[in-house]
This record gives sequence, structure tokens and C-alpha cells, in this order.
Amino acid sequence: MKKASVQVSAALLLGFALIGGACGGRDDSSSGDSTTTTAGDSTETAFIDPAADCTDYKGTQGVTGDTIKIGTVRPESGSYAIYDNVTKGLEAYFKSANAAGGLPAADGKKYQVELIKKNDEYDPAKTPALVKQLVEQDGVFALVGNIGTETNKSVRDYLNENCVPNIALATGSTQWGDANAYPWYISGLPSYATEANAWVSYLEEVNPTAKIALLYQDDDFGQSYKAAIEKAIEGTKITLVAEEGFNPLAGSTTEASVTKLSQSGADTFIVGVGGTACPLTLSFVPATWTPMTMISVTCGSKTALSLAGGKDQGVYMAQPTLDPADPADQSNPKVVEFATQGAAAGLDESAIQGGIASVGWGFGSMFAVGLKNATTVDRAAVMNALYSLKDSTFGLIRDEVTVNTDGAKDPWAIEGFRIVQRENGAWVEKAPVTNEEGKSNSFAGK
Amino acid sequence: MSGAVSAEQSAQRGPREWALKVGPWILLFVILAVLPFQFPSFRVEQFCFWMTLAIAACGLNLLTGYNGQISVGHGALFGIGAYTTGILITEFGVPLFGATVAAAVVCFFVGILVGLPALRIKGLYLALVTLAVATLFPLLLEQFSAITGGSGGLQITSPQMYRGEMRERPIRLESPIAGLANDQWKYFLFLAITVVIFVLSRNLIKSRVGRSLVAVRDNEIAAESSGIPVSKVKILTFGLSAAIAGIGGSLFALDQGQLYPSSFTIVLSIYILVAVVVGGASSIIGPAIGAVFYGLFSDVIIQQMPDRIQPARAVILGVLLILLMLLAPGGVVGGVRSLQANFASRKGGSPGSDPDLIM
Repeated sequence: MKKASVQVSAALLLGFALIGGACGGRDDSSSGDSTTTTAGDSTETAFIDPAADCTDYKGTQGVTGDTIKIGTVRPESGSYAIYDNVTKGLEAYFKSANAAGGLPAADGKKYQVELIKKNDEYDPAKTPALVKQLVEQDGVFALVGNIGTETNKSVRDYLNENCVPNIALATGSTQWGDANAYPWYISGLPSYATEANAWVSYLEEVNPTAKIALLYQDDDFGQSYKAAIEKAIEGTKITLVAEEGFNPLAGSTTEASVTKLSQSGADTFIVGVGGTACPLTLSFVPATWTPMTMISVTCGSKTALSLAGGKDQGVYMAQPTLDPADPADQSNPKVVEFATQGAAAGLDESAIQGGIASVGWGFGSMFAVGLKNATTVDRAAVMNALYSLKDSTFGLIRDEVTVNTDGAKDPWAIEGFRIVQRENGAWVEKAPVTNEEGKSNSFAGK
Repeated sequence: MSGAVSAEQSAQRGPREWALKVGPWILLFVILAVLPFQFPSFRVEQFCFWMTLAIAACGLNLLTGYNGQISVGHGALFGIGAYTTGILITEFGVPLFGATVAAAVVCFFVGILVGLPALRIKGLYLALVTLAVATLFPLLLEQFSAITGGSGGLQITSPQMYRGEMRERPIRLESPIAGLANDQWKYFLFLAITVVIFVLSRNLIKSRVGRSLVAVRDNEIAAESSGIPVSKVKILTFGLSAAIAGIGGSLFALDQGQLYPSSFTIVLSIYILVAVVVGGASSIIGPAIGAVFYGLFSDVIIQQMPDRIQPARAVILGVLLILLMLLAPGGVVGGVRSLQANFASRKGGSPGSDPDLIM
């Protein structure tokens, strides 16, 4: 009895081992044709020197022949599944580029992109295993367009230690400004602090004694707004009269918080929450309260605002990009290109107009710029290219917004906003673009 | 009960029988020893996670399998172990495994607190109390975000040199052996701890104390009249079970280096219970088998499926569980036992001659 049962259990374990064995081995070819290379960028001023910063540097992992493997992690299910549209846009960009022969690189070749997607449901507890799988098993060259602040934070040390690029983070947390410590990360969005600063600058202009009621998401994303607003109103007559935190994972709505804020006597309402909670918040604003409402840029898409039950009329936003749903922007060549090529790559009309897929399209385009500007097809070279952009642009960034980076001195690509107001489903410019080149980190509060 | 008898029996068996008995264990240990060299580091870290789950399930098994008290709250105890470890290391600079010991002690007392109602209520009602603990725990983590980091997570860090300056960096278990990567070192360290805990549990169950656990489970009144202090046994078993779950949680914290409330929801409690039931309650090795099954399911098999199917993992797991319970109500170990019994009776031997099989 006993011995036989032991045998069976051993056989079972052996079975598991075999099943597991099918999933790849430590020293097998899972990491593609990775080779250890020396510094990707030979110029002395290169921001990243892998020879100095990386142990076991695999600069060309994921590059095989004329194919580059890229990974991305996003919420395909769960309450943040709306952001899956970002990934649809990213995928469309690569599809479109592949159909056109591939992404051009400095070596004269054109690279086909193979995109591997993982679903972490916006849960930072799930992200690390998926990202490690992408890097160690799927052997990707880089991650592009990963969604979420906490999710990206949960793998920041891992990716930086292993010298794996994480390009165009779909988050504007002020943490990504620490390029000195984490040079393998570069955000694809403007810093939330720069955005908050743009709101306050505009308020100073139009309502210098504004009384702000702030609803913020009680995580790094919302706290970035809160801290930056507190810093920006220092020394002004603007006051923060009420604030409410909102926990997106608690399963409740913002209704109670909005009711509370509406009784605070504030004349300005800043909505620092994302996901579908943001437009729903607008729909909760009682008819008796008519503040000047500022919404997060993550909420400014047609898709999101269509959930506001008509209460999006009159809201303000700081806008860095073109809006494919805005008639005023639709003739812009960048929008035309996105609309025609995106459609050819399988995006439907609602995705194109929705304003979320276009963000992902921009992330793909940001990677393409990095690859094109890089001296060689190498991880460090691509990062160095992205950290030394000169009068560049990508995706649907507004033409007036300047795109420059300079390593840790200026780690943010997008730092310009214009202030717009929503009128009948379109945006009306209230203040032109102000570019805050190199200043984004200084806006971050504590 | 039959432990001494079977030892006598095995002493009488020939060397061939002995080899058959010991051989599979040697094979098992060879496999376990080779495993971390065959897989990329993220997979080895998952193995470490499975071990932490196995430890927690081993703790729950003492309580549910041997003592007959149902707990659906062991995910919370696991979480308390993890957060205690994280906070002690990050805030107070406690050495890594010192924090594990502290976590076990904290969980022991929390377990006793949770177990107090068990003196008055039983079965489903006790399950409901523990369910409340499991449901409340992640909410408490959010509520006390100043200490726990809330939904933003708790980064377990210690001051380390990085890029020329002292920074708070994620903790790591540095391998002291050249040629052994950090994750491999962690694997063997965790394996050793897991084996020790399982062996100690086995010894406990085979001892007088273990027999009193089982006696309380089988018939409280009979146990009481044979002189077993029933209340004391029930309470201490709850505490011990919680402490073991806490050790599992503590190792989980050391494995991950960061903690999020979403890891410690009611779902985790259910998975720990699933590990016990799948493996086979009231067998020592059962929870480990169950934990490996669960790990294989959620980290390997589901991950290979298309993205669209993945959100349905709970449904798939549910269906598999129903099937398993229909086919083998005693879990994997129970199924193996009944197969053996069938086999033995067909051969004409006496079936189930070793009913208290530890395996």
C-alpha cells in the first residue's frame, strides 16, 4: 500500500516535471539569438552604457533575422478593460508597419514586428510573472505600451536590472522622471504633474481665486495629481477647499464623494480619476452644482466621455494630442494617416474615433522613432535614441507640442498642453499650447 | 496508530520491498533537485510560490483534515504573515528570516483569536466566521494604507548601494554559492523549509498530540471522556495552523519582494482550501500535491490558453473540481488509495490494511 502510493505520487511529480519541461529550459533557445554585445551607442555622451550598468547584457535579444519581438501587458478583462483599446491601437500600428514592409532601422533593414500580448487585468500582483515570462520565455526585445502605473512599477526594478527597455509606458506617473535610477523606462504620456500644472496655470489666468474640489484616485496616479496641484497653488490665491480619495479596486462608485464635494462651496472641480469611473463621476454631478470642471487627459477620449450621460458638455481638459473625433483635427495629416492606415490594419470606425486606440498608435510610433534613430539595432541604442530626441514627433502629438529629451536632464518626451473646453462633442481651444521643456520633474509634488 | 505497526512490518520486508519503498522518494528528490536548472528564473520563482502555497495548505490540513475545523480564512493568515514580514523588514530593518519567525508568532496569536469562536460554533458556522476574516483582510489593508501601502502595494525594501548611492531597493536573497543563481538558491532554501515543515507536521500527527487532534475530530465527547482537553487542543491547533500559514505567507513576501491586497482576497483562501481538498485532506503530502496541481493549473496550463479564455479560469477550475470530487472524493491521495484498495482486493489481499496512511 504505502510503497505503491509513493510510487504513484512520484510518477505524478515526474509527470508535472515533464509538463513543465515543455515550457522551456534555463539555457535553451528561449531567449532567441541573444548575444552579449558591447555598448550599443558608441558616442561618448550616450545616456546608457550597458557595459557599465548591465551584467549579462543581452542587447539583441528578440531580434531574429528581420523580425523584432515586442511584448506588451494590458488589462484585457476587468474594470480597466477599456484600456485594451490602447493595445488595439498599438497592434494596428505594428500591423500597418509590417504591411508596409516593416520598421526601418539604422542598419538599412526593415523589421517586421511580432507583438506578444499578456493580460494582467490591471493587477500589479499579476504583472511580474507575465513580464518575466515575456522576457525570459518569449524572449522579447522590449516592452512597449505597458498599461498602468502600479503595474509598471511592480516590474521596474526587474526590467532595469536586466536592462530590458520598457518603452512608451501608458502612464504619466511622476516616478518615470527618475531616469537616473531607471534609465530603461520612458513614458509615452506627459507627466501627470505637468498636466496638473497646466490646469492650475490656466486657473490663475481665468479665476485667480479659484476654490478647488479635488476627486483623486487613491493610488500613485491620482496622488500625482494631488501633489502637483498642491505644489502649483503654493504662492497663489487658489485654494484646495475639499478633496476626496477614490479607491478604484474597492468596487464602489464615486457618487458619495461627488455629493460631498458638491457641498464644499468649491467653484472648480478637478476629476483626477481614470477608467470608466471618470465619466461616471461627471454623470453624478448634481444639477445644483455648476463648477468649472477639469478632467484628466486619460478621460478625454470620445469613448470615455460618451459614458458621461451628456454631462461632458463644458468640461475642460489639458490636451497634448490631436483628437481623431474632433472635426477641427480631422484634416491634420497625422490624423488622416492614422484613420486610413488604422482602418486598413483592422481598426473599426469607433476605435479610430474613440481616442484611446490613437494613444496606442502613438506608442507604436514612439518605438519606431527609437528604432529608426538608434545607431544599431540594440536595446541600449534604442533607449539612448529615445533619450536624445531633437525636435521629434510621433503618433498624434499636436504639431505645436515640441518633443525633445536629454537623458535624466529631460526625461519626458511630451511636455506641452493646450487648454480646451468640450462643446457639442468637439474641443474648443481656450489657451494655446505651452511647452514646458525639461521642467516636468520640477512640477512633481511630494 | 498503525505507524509503529507498519514500521515493524517494513522491517520484516526484504531488501526489494525496501528499495521499492525508498526508490520513489529518491526519484522525487532527484527531480526536485534538477528542476530549478531546467527552467527560466521566472518559472523557478513560481515553483517557490507553489511551495509557499503548499506550506499554507499543510497548515490548513492540520486544522481541517486532522482536527475537523473548517477555515476559509487561511488566505488572510497567509497575508498577515506576508505583511508582517514586509513591514518588519522595510520599516524596522529586521533580518529576512527573523521576520519569518516573527510572522509565525504573530500568526499564531491571530490564529488563536480567530479560533476562539470555534469553541462555541462548529462546521459551517465556523466556516462563516473565517470567511468574514478572509473578506475583511484586503479591506483592512486598504484602510490602513499608511502602513500597508494600500492598493499601491507594499514594496519590501532595504537600503542598498545602487548606481553609486544608497537607495531603498527591493530585498533579494543573494545566493552565497557561485554557480547557483539567486532564484535557484531561493528555490532550495524554500524547499528545505517546506520539507522541514512537512516532516514536522508528519511527526506531530504520528505523536500523541496528533492522535488527540484526530480524536477531537472524530468524536469530541469520546475524546473529552478519554481525558483530552478538547478546548485546548482546538485552540492550539488553530494557532499552530495559522502559524504555519503565516510562515508560508512570510516566504511568499520574501519571494515576491512586493505585496498587493489583490493577492490576499477570499480567492486565495479558497485556493488554499482547494489545494487541501484536491490533494486529499488528512494525508500529509496531499496539500503539497494539491498546491502543485493548483500552481500547474493557474501558472502553466491557463497561461498557455488563449487570452480570451483566461478570465474564465475560475469557471474552468470549478468544473475540474466538480469532476475530481465526483471521481475521487478523497482527492488525489484518496483516489490513489481507493485504486490500491481495488487492486489489492482483486489480488485477494485485504483492502485498506493501512487506513491511517500518511503517504
